[in-house]
Amino acid sequence: MSKYKVCVVGGHCSNRVIIVAEQLTEYFEKQGIDCQVFTHLAASEYGFPPRSNLILQLLPAFNEEEAGVPVINIKPLIGDPLHPATIEKILKQIRADYPM
Amino acid sequence: MSSRIYLDYCSTTPVHPSVRDKMLRVLDADFGNPSSMHWAGKDSRQLIDQSRADVASGIGCQPSEIVFTSGATEADNLALFGILRLFPSNEAHLITSAIEHHAVLHAAHRLEQDGYSVTYLPVDEHGLVNPEDVRRAIRPETKLISIMYVNNEVGSVQPIAEIGKIAHEHNIRFHTDAVQAVGLFDVNVDDLNVDTLSLSAHKIYGPKGIGALYLRAGLELAPMILGGPQEHSLRAGTENVPGIVGLGAAMNHVRQHRAEERVRIMELRKSLIDRLRAQAPEVIVNGLEEATAPHILSISFVGADAEMMLIRLDGEGIAVSLGSACNSKSIEPSHVLTAMKLPQEQIDSTLRFSLGMPTTKDEIDVLLDVITSVLPRVTVQ
Repeated sequence: MSKYKVCVVGGHCSNRVIIVAEQLTEYFEKQGIDCQVFTHLAASEYGFPPRSNLILQLLPAFNEEEAGVPVINIKPLIGDPLHPATIEKILKQIRADYPM
Repeated sequence: MSSRIYLDYCSTTPVHPSVRDKMLRVLDADFGNPSSMHWAGKDSRQLIDQSRADVASGIGCQPSEIVFTSGATEADNLALFGILRLFPSNEAHLITSAIEHHAVLHAAHRLEQDGYSVTYLPVDEHGLVNPEDVRRAIRPETKLISIMYVNNEVGSVQPIAEIGKIAHEHNIRFHTDAVQAVGLFDVNVDDLNVDTLSLSAHKIYGPKGIGALYLRAGLELAPMILGGPQEHSLRAGTENVPGIVGLGAAMNHVRQHRAEERVRIMELRKSLIDRLRAQAPEVIVNGLEEATAPHILSISFVGADAEMMLIRLDGEGIAVSLGSACNSKSIEPSHVLTAMKLPQEQIDSTLRFSLGMPTTKDEIDVLLDVITSVLPRVTVQ
C-alpha cells in the first residue's frame, strides 16, 4: 500500500509553503500519522492539481471537483501553526481516509 | 489562454520605439567617453548635454540642475543622504511619510541608525498626507522634508506644492519622489516648490538603469559616489551615455503626449471602475477619486484572495500586481495599505492595476470578462 500523500499548496512564496509543510510533517510524526507531505506552488504550476490523497491549501487554488481529492483551506496555519479548528479538520479528514 | 495584457505599468514600462532607436544609434556609433577631450568624447558629451536639456524641459528646470543617476532609488538616496550628511547627526531631523517608496523609507531607517532623527508622518484612509501634520512635525533642527508626489501603490497625489510652501516658510529643503508623476503630470519644480526631485526612465517608457535627481541651483549636497568629476562632482563614474540618451528621449516622448494620455487614461479608468462596480458591487477602490493619479487603481475584492486572483489572472495572460508580499513566516501586508489603516481582510484582497500608454479599451474589456470568471473561484471559504 502506497503512503498517504498530503500536498501543501501555496501561491508564489516557496519559503512560506515549505515552513507550513515542515510544521505539519513534525506534527503528523508526533501524532503517529505515517504520511508523506510535499509542496506545490500554484503560481509556478498553474492549473495542474498535484497528485495526492489530500490537498491542504494556503489560498483557494483548487476545488475538490477539479482536484479529485478532499481540499482543506489552511490559511490560519500561517499565523498559528497549530490553529485548533484547522488542525481538527485535517485530522478528521486523514482519519476518515486512512484509518489508523 | 487569451492574448497577453500588461497592466503593471507602475512596475515598469516597455521602451518606446523612438527611445530604443535613439539608444541603438548611440550603442552603435557613440562609444566615446564623455570625459575624453577628442572628437569621440565630444560627441558623447554633446549627447549628454542634449538629454540633460530634454530632461530639464520635462520638469521645468535648468539643464545644470539635473544630476544623472542609476535610477530613482539612487536619486532618492542621494537627496536624503546628500542633504542630511551635510550636518552632524544630532543636529539634523528628517520628516517623511509612512507610505514612501522603500528607496526613501530604507534610506531614512539607515539615517536613524546613524543617529539622525526621523519623523514618519501618518496618512489618512485615502493615503494622503495632511500638510498641517508636516507643519506640526517641524523642529528647529529639521533639515529636510521628503514626501512622494504620487504613491506607487494606491496612486494618492500628495499636496506637494502646499507642503513645499510650508517647508520653505521654515527654510527647510523639500524633496519629492516624482517617479509615478512624471509620465502623466505636467511637472514643474517651481510650481511644486521642490528643491530636489527624483525620476526614473523605466517608468516613462525609457530604459532601466538610468534616472535623475533635480537639484535646485545653489543647493549643496554631499556626494555618495566618489571618483571623477562627472555630474558636477555629485555622482562620480563614467556616464551611462545610452541610458542618458534613452532618458532624454523618454522624457520628450511623455512630455509630448502626457496631457492627452491623462485624459484618455482617465476615461479608461472610469470605464473600468464603473463596470467593475456594476459586476461586483463588493469591490472597493482605494484612495480618494479626486486625489488619485489616473493610471493607478488599487482595488480590493473583499472576500477574495488577492494572491490567488493574481495567479489566475496571470494564467489568463493578464499581468497585475499584489498589494502585499510574503516573507518566510508571514504574509507581509503592504506598508502603504497598512498605513492607511485598511482592515486586514481588505489588504489581503487588494490588487493594483496600473494603466499605460499602450493600454486599450479592448484590454479593459478582456480584463473585466476575466475578472468576472475568476472572482468566484478565488473567494476565501
